[in-house]
Parts: sequence; C-alpha cells; structure tokens
Amino acid sequence: MHYTFQWRVAFNALPDMLWGALVTLEVAVLSMVLGVFFAVVLALGSSSQYRAFRGAAATWVELARNTPALFQIYMAYFGLGSIGIQLDSFPALLAGITFNNAGYLAETFRGGLRAVPPTQMRAARSLGMGPVQAFRLIVLPQMFRVVFYPMTNQMVWAILMTSLGVIVGLNNDLTGVTQDLNVKSFRTFEFFAVAAVIYYLIAKLVTLSARLMAYRLFRY
Amino acid sequence: MAKGFGVLAAAMLTLAAMPAKADKLDDIIASGTLRCAVVLDFPPMGSRDASNNPIGFDVDYCNDLAKALGVKAEIVETPFPDRIPALVSGRVDVGVASTSDTLERAKTAGFTIPYFAFKMVVLTKDGIGIKDYDSLKGKKTGSVSGTFEALALEKDVKAWGAGTTFRGYQTQADVFLALAQGQIDATVVTSTVAAAIVKEGKYKGLMMGGDAPYDIDYVALIALRNEQGLINYLNLFINQQVRTGRYKALYDKWIGLGEAPNLTIPGVYR
Amino acid sequence: MFETSFSLNDLWFMLKGAGVTLTVTFWAVLGGSLLGVAFGLMRAVSPWWVNAPIGFVLDIFRSVPLLIQLVLANAFKSIIGLKWDPFTVGCVVLAVYTAAYCTEIVRAGVLAVPATTRRAARSLGLSWTQDLTSIVFPIALRVALPSWIGLTLGVMKDTAMVWWIGIVELLRSSQVIVTRIHEPLFVLSIAGLIYFLMSFPIARLGARLEKRWREND
Repeated sequence: MHYTFQWRVAFNALPDMLWGALVTLEVAVLSMVLGVFFAVVLALGSSSQYRAFRGAAATWVELARNTPALFQIYMAYFGLGSIGIQLDSFPALLAGITFNNAGYLAETFRGGLRAVPPTQMRAARSLGMGPVQAFRLIVLPQMFRVVFYPMTNQMVWAILMTSLGVIVGLNNDLTGVTQDLNVKSFRTFEFFAVAAVIYYLIAKLVTLSARLMAYRLFRY
Repeated sequence: MAKGFGVLAAAMLTLAAMPAKADKLDDIIASGTLRCAVVLDFPPMGSRDASNNPIGFDVDYCNDLAKALGVKAEIVETPFPDRIPALVSGRVDVGVASTSDTLERAKTAGFTIPYFAFKMVVLTKDGIGIKDYDSLKGKKTGSVSGTFEALALEKDVKAWGAGTTFRGYQTQADVFLALAQGQIDATVVTSTVAAAIVKEGKYKGLMMGGDAPYDIDYVALIALRNEQGLINYLNLFINQQVRTGRYKALYDKWIGLGEAPNLTIPGVYR
Repeated sequence: MFETSFSLNDLWFMLKGAGVTLTVTFWAVLGGSLLGVAFGLMRAVSPWWVNAPIGFVLDIFRSVPLLIQLVLANAFKSIIGLKWDPFTVGCVVLAVYTAAYCTEIVRAGVLAVPATTRRAARSLGLSWTQDLTSIVFPIALRVALPSWIGLTLGVMKDTAMVWWIGIVELLRSSQVIVTRIHEPLFVLSIAGLIYFLMSFPIARLGARLEKRWREND
C-alpha cells in the first residue's frame, strides 16, 4: 500500500497537543499527590488493630493491583454513574488513577516501613527523642530513601495511565486531543507519533528531575 | 526533528513500494470472504441479538453485498472512530457503517454514492427541560468522537460558549450510557437510532428533544481510496439495491416508520 | 429482588473474552521473556557502547503509553503493507513492551550475583559456561522470578488495551454486553471478578516465593 506522510498537519497541531500535555501532567501530578495520601492511610490501615480497617485496606490494595487500570477508570465513570455518583471525565480519570496509585504505593510504603529496623526507633527513643520526633527524624527519612525510586516509577506509570482518559470521554489531555485530531483527518500515524514523542519527553522530564532531587536529598 | 522524520518516511516508502498486483475486488473474490466494518452499538443499523450475534440494516446490507460477490460475509465490529483506521489498516475490506461522506474523510477513504440518509434529532432525558436544539445552550452535551453530528454539535457548542460543554466518546453505546446516567444532558443522533433507543425502553426516561438543524446526513460505503474498481462495483451494487426494491424492503424491516429516504440530491449529478 | 437480563450465554461470551486475554498474555510473555533474557544478558555483559543503545531503545517502550504504541504499530504495519491481523499486532506490541521490562529484570538478576561468588566458582575450577549455568542462573533466577511474575500479571492487565485495535478480549466483551442489556455496574463487576480471579492467586504465589527465598538468603 502506498502511504504518503503528511507531517505538516501534525506539526500544525503541535500547540494544541502541548496544551493537552499540560492537562496530562496535571492529572498525573494530582493523582500522585492524592495517591500518596491514600496510600499512607492504607498502609496505616493495614497495620491497624481493627479488623474492619485491615479488611478495607486489603480490599482496596488487592483490587487496585489485580484489575486493569483501564477497568478501574471505566468503572469510576460508568460503574459509579449507574449508582448515581456522576463523575465528569476528568475527575473520573483522576479517581481511577488515584485508586490505582494508592494501591501500589501502599505496598511500597509498607515495604519501606519494614526496611527500617525497629532497633532504629528504639535507639532514637533511648537518645531521648519523643515518638513523633523519632518517627519524623529517624524513620521517615530512611523510609523515604527506600520508597523514592518506586515512587518515581509510579509517577511515570501515572503519566502513561492518563492516556486512558480518552475512554471516558476526556478530550483535552494529550491522548484526547490526539484522538480528536485523528478522527477528523485520520492521519493516525503522524498524530500519534508526535504524541508518543511528547509522552516520552514528559516521562524523561519526570525521571530526570527525580534523579536531580535524589541527588540533592540523598547526598549523605 | 522534521528532517529525521522525513528520512524515516522516505525509508518506509521505499519499503512500501511493491509490484503491481490484483486489486482489492479480485482479492475479495479470491479469498472467498468479504470483511465488513459494521457499527454494532447503533440500532437499528447494527446491534446484537440475545446470543450476541450481529443484526441490523448494515449487517443485512453486508450480507447482500457478499451474496452479490459470491463470497462469505464476515462482520467485524468497529466503533465509529475506528472505521477509517480499520479500513486503512486492512482489518476490513469495506465499511458498511453509516459513514457520512465528508470531504475531510474523503482525503483518506474512498466513498461510494450514498446508501442511506439520516436526519438528526436531539436525544435527551425527561426532567432536563430540553425542548429543541437551541435549548442545548448551557447544557452538557456529548456525542461519538469525530462523527458528522459530533463535528456539527461541537462547532455549535464552541459558538455558544461559556457553560455549554461537549464530550467526545469512543463508542455510541458509551454516549447513551453517559446520557442515561446523567453525565451529559443531551446528545444529537440520527432519528432512526433515537427512535430505536426510545422504543427499546432499556434506558429509562430517554426522549426526543426536537430536530437538529443540520443538513441531511448522507452516508456511504467506504473502501480504500485508491480501489476504484471496488468503489465502482459498490456504486452499482447500491444502485441495484434501490432498483430491485431490496433497499425499501430492508428499510421496512429495520426502521419501518414512513418512507425510505431518497438518496439523490436534486440539481446535481451523483 | 435483584433482576438481570444477564444470561449464561453472556457469561460464556465473557469467558471467551477472558480466553483471548489469556492467549494474548501467553504469546506476549513468551516472546517478551525470550527477548528479555537475550537483551538482559547482553546488557549485563556487554561494554557500554552496546549496552547504552539497547537500554535507550527499550526505555522508549517503557516511557510511551501502551495505548499509543498499539495505535502506532497498527498504523505502521498497514503503511508498510504487512498483512497482520490485529491479534498478531497486539501480541507483537505487548511482547516488545514485555521485553523492555523483562530485560531490566534479567539484568538486575545477573548483576545481583556478586562478582566474588563468580570468582570463587571459577577458582574452584568451574568453566565459564559452568559458572553461568550452575552459579549465575540459579541465583539470578531467585532474584528475578518474583519480579517476572509481577510483570506477567502486569501484562495480563495491560492486554485490556488491545480492544482499541479491534480485539474482543475480556473488557471489550463486557462492554458488548453492557451495550445490549444496559447494566454496567453488574456486568463490569463480573469482568473485574474474572480479572481478579486470574491475577490474585498468581500474585499471592509470587509474594510467597519472594518471601520464602528471601528467608533462605
């Protein structure tokens, strides 16, 4: 088959796509912030003495980890919608990715907590630190070191997951904008190739800044 | 970067240069199967029966075409935005999928003469207070990404400005679901599908909200742009469907209300 | 009373979709693991000028959304005139995607074997091949297997995206049924349950293995 590439149409659309990339980044960052919050809650919940909390935390974590992200997002939009909880496309995508992030990060955090030996806490306490002080100054920094790299990975995944918003009608993120352009002119390869390059650059930007941050934070 | 892409493109074109061979029409007859792209969440044109088998006007139309060609028909379910990609990527031979013959699309796909024509209506839910097209102003609307009605609606939504929103979905089913659940207040669809959905009654409270002031939406079969031999055959096939009364029979079977739409435009050839 | 139009027929339709999900996963993981082992070993032993380009290319597949990779591959194969069906395209894209992750897992596994252990093996008279087969592989496998199981499950879940290029797998088949009977929550819950049942037991097994092997370290 003979195919003539028309890159001009794709490059003309570049400004629109870059605005879309901003929305993509916005969803990813928000889902990470919320994800970390819920993950901490889940990590605490799973070590709670109440069975109900443990059960709820375990259910969330296992569901998030054992079903596809696409399913979770679709469920957040159409599943919740059918019981009267109507989320718009953006919040539904955000909810889906946050749910997923929290599930994976909760496990990461649990691993991180375990990686700090309890003797450290005892040593800190015996040096006269209060429990909160010891946790904040001794346990948390060490734990952060362990979970930092997995968190960076999760952030990249969050960016990749935002591409699924198009399934629930989101049309202003990078994939949404790209698909909108695609269905109007069907220069599929050109548009999506440009989108792929933008995604790649965003992902690299994130890993690079994470590396710089790690360099500053973990010098000692 | 543009230059890099150019070099890549040139390399790929060289790869793609292939010797002349039998055309698509020959290929279909030789392979014994006609693969039709049909949209199956668009009753009465295409849907599924209780055992999830494809049924509908477009399904029958494809079967007729296969019979004329003397081959077996294979229905390939294709959501609206995927029709032309499916065709271009060679997943299907022909699109029997209510494809509006826009000039933008004709840059990529080859269109036959119209095989059906739609009128557009507003579909909404009771209690929202949408009586006609103009009362869509300030409401949440949505439609299937890239379709004729989506493009027209999105344009008006942009013109209406603040408060009116538009969401593009990837399948017709998702639009109805979003409407039924209240994620959108209204959509614009073909009158036939609106009638079918309201009559079916599975989505509670859906109702018509008046005609949409768009041009008549002529839809055509699609094939690859350069397959003139096949397009020629399809044109004659559509002509024969009307001439033999089969078009009317299918219309009565699947749509039923009123007269089968006229497929010619007065004052111009084709 | 709970009423539904969901029939056994529909359940069967969804299970067939689940079958497609598993088949795609199987080919993707098989191809991806073979490629991943090859690239992973290459990356672990080769000099930087071989290592870096492989790493760079594979990293691309980990930095671009799978959905976009699928769309691009599907468009590209028709541009160059390949007559692959969507199923093949889906398997190939997922296999490359799997390979990109598997390479890192294999590489990490091989690099986790301490150089001193290998030197000790060599000084005990083991040949280079013997060192690889009886020292490096067993140790590397322990490190790599839990991650590999995780990867397999990840790929299984990611196959949900192949419906975009026209494959009716589990998630798509549930959408087909939702379209007909309009009970999204119920049908989607069944789909979720099937995914869960396919993934959870293996995830548990992976976690058990990881724990057991760590204790023996």
